[in-house]
Amino acid sequence: MAIVLGVDIGSAASKGIALNDQGTLGSYECPSGGDFKLTAERIKKELLSQAGKSENDISRTVATGYGSNRVTFADEVKPDIVCIAKGISSLLPSVRTVIDVGDLYTKVLRIDGNGSVHNFLLSGKCAGGSGRILQVIAKVLHVRVEEIGELSLKSKKRVEFNTGCAVFAESEAISRLSQEVKKEDLLAGIHRALAAQIDSLTERMGVEQDMAMVGGGARDAGLVQAFKEIRGHDILVPEKPHMIAALGAAIIAMENLGIPQ
Amino acid sequence: MNDKQTSLFNTIENYYKDYGVRAKELAREGKKFIGYVCSFVPLEIITAAGCIPFRVRGNIYEPISKGDTLLETIVCPYYRSVFDLSVKGKYDFLSGLVIPHGCDSMVRSYSAWMYSLPYSYFHFLNIPTVCVESSFEFFNAELNTFRKSMEKFAGKAITEEDLAKAIRVHNENRDKVRNLYEFRKANPPLISGTELTMALTVGSSLPIGESNDLFDQILVEIRRREKSPLKKGPRLLMDGACLDNIELIKLVEELGGNVVADTICNGARDYFPRTDEGENPIDALGRRYLDKINCPKTYRENKTGTFEGDMASRFGDIGAYAKEFGIEGAILYIYKYCDPFGFEVPARKAYYQSIHVPLLHLEDVYSAGTIGQLRTRIQAFLEMIG
Repeated sequence: MAIVLGVDIGSAASKGIALNDQGTLGSYECPSGGDFKLTAERIKKELLSQAGKSENDISRTVATGYGSNRVTFADEVKPDIVCIAKGISSLLPSVRTVIDVGDLYTKVLRIDGNGSVHNFLLSGKCAGGSGRILQVIAKVLHVRVEEIGELSLKSKKRVEFNTGCAVFAESEAISRLSQEVKKEDLLAGIHRALAAQIDSLTERMGVEQDMAMVGGGARDAGLVQAFKEIRGHDILVPEKPHMIAALGAAIIAMENLGIPQ
Repeated sequence: MNDKQTSLFNTIENYYKDYGVRAKELAREGKKFIGYVCSFVPLEIITAAGCIPFRVRGNIYEPISKGDTLLETIVCPYYRSVFDLSVKGKYDFLSGLVIPHGCDSMVRSYSAWMYSLPYSYFHFLNIPTVCVESSFEFFNAELNTFRKSMEKFAGKAITEEDLAKAIRVHNENRDKVRNLYEFRKANPPLISGTELTMALTVGSSLPIGESNDLFDQILVEIRRREKSPLKKGPRLLMDGACLDNIELIKLVEELGGNVVADTICNGARDYFPRTDEGENPIDALGRRYLDKINCPKTYRENKTGTFEGDMASRFGDIGAYAKEFGIEGAILYIYKYCDPFGFEVPARKAYYQSIHVPLLHLEDVYSAGTIGQLRTRIQAFLEMIG
């Protein structure tokens, strides 16, 4: 049977998923880089190779994300908010509030059980409240962004950050480092500050349970833990939270073809 | 569009892009243009004095530079842009400028305008922030002061007949705009939001007679139209302060929305309220500018004692437009640092919720650089309500 592709070109990372009526045939992610068109081609090639299919087997491609209009082979472009709702509903149908922590924005979505968006809110126009700060801080501390979550959980004495601004946080982190503060305590502070900003956005949107966190930021155990502590309730995180928009795009492609999921 | 329509809209576009080109021409011939920056300036008094009101506007493509050396950046970016263009000489053909108490930024910056611009006439018009009996008494006295000040500048007396005539011709202008809005009711609308906003923006840069002629021509052309310039899409209301550029509405329409109603200053807020004719003209102007213009700048007492009643009296026009124009969603577009609108956001949101109209709230700076960020939000909103 032919396959469909969901391609999500984000401002930092790009993701792709290949589906058919049997399930997932391929999944791939890479940095978005400076040429979104080339990145999209690379994702397509990789997905086809994983699925053992050729270009002619692709029945439909739906693109989403910041660079979606550069996915020149896409049949349709969908806003990422719509794809996120679709993707999370397919995995966790009880979810009604979704927090997507991306590199460019953090988004809060209110959705129904069918994956339709009822309302949404995005973080501000600057990087404050977005996942960008996680990359910034990893660079300052010379640790890999994948490691900061576990490191943060080891903290015994969290540093209090007074700013939600990514740029100020960077300079504040550097000045704290000079005071010999431990990396994990610094990270725990950054996670707490970001979680507080996300919480404020969430409250403005209004909450209905269950709540899930997705996007690259949700891979960071330190951030998820800090957010759980502030919220005081459980937060669901799907297995590959950063792939949700790509998955949603692929599901929309399947639905377009009239194939039920 | 046929050739005639194309040529009419090309003229409008040229006037829009080279804003003030016609005024410059007429100023060279000796006509006196008086600039204004907010809907609260009684244009009728300027017209009655034999001068021509001209709405000064900003430019979202022009980075604010010189203006920021003379005005602090705590002021809303729209107002800063207007000021910046002015101090860079864009409106040097003006003979004067009137600034009303439309918001705190206008009051506080009045002296900066006076010191920085070469015009020979300046006037500050105090507008009460409340709307009770004593406010009208005060405001009428203010209107008479403005009238005297214009008389002195123009070197002629403004008679009651002059005022009545000016009221008539400005009402005609508003009636024509109201007629243009009628064409927005078709689904899809027969005139796009982009076309209308461009035409209204241009209209406020022309002498009132020429503006009336222009709107007449547009009415003739639109009546002949058989097909909408837009594809059918979600019918939207644009809510907010002054949108004197087409970019946001154009973006919404490019993404598939139909902008068919608004509350904006160079739209319904300005053009829908008429001045009553056949009575004391100053009384009539007082009522129009103080009571009939619905702007968050004016505090209106909650006479109902309930939150819902207050919402209905402050935002009832939105609900009425929603019904009249068949609205399916609204965009509340607020400039950063706009205090009058900023404070109202939660109440407006509550009102939209109560009338079941989905709302997208956008806070923006007055710059073309943010179009990409707006696109993300608008796309998702249209998809959500579509």
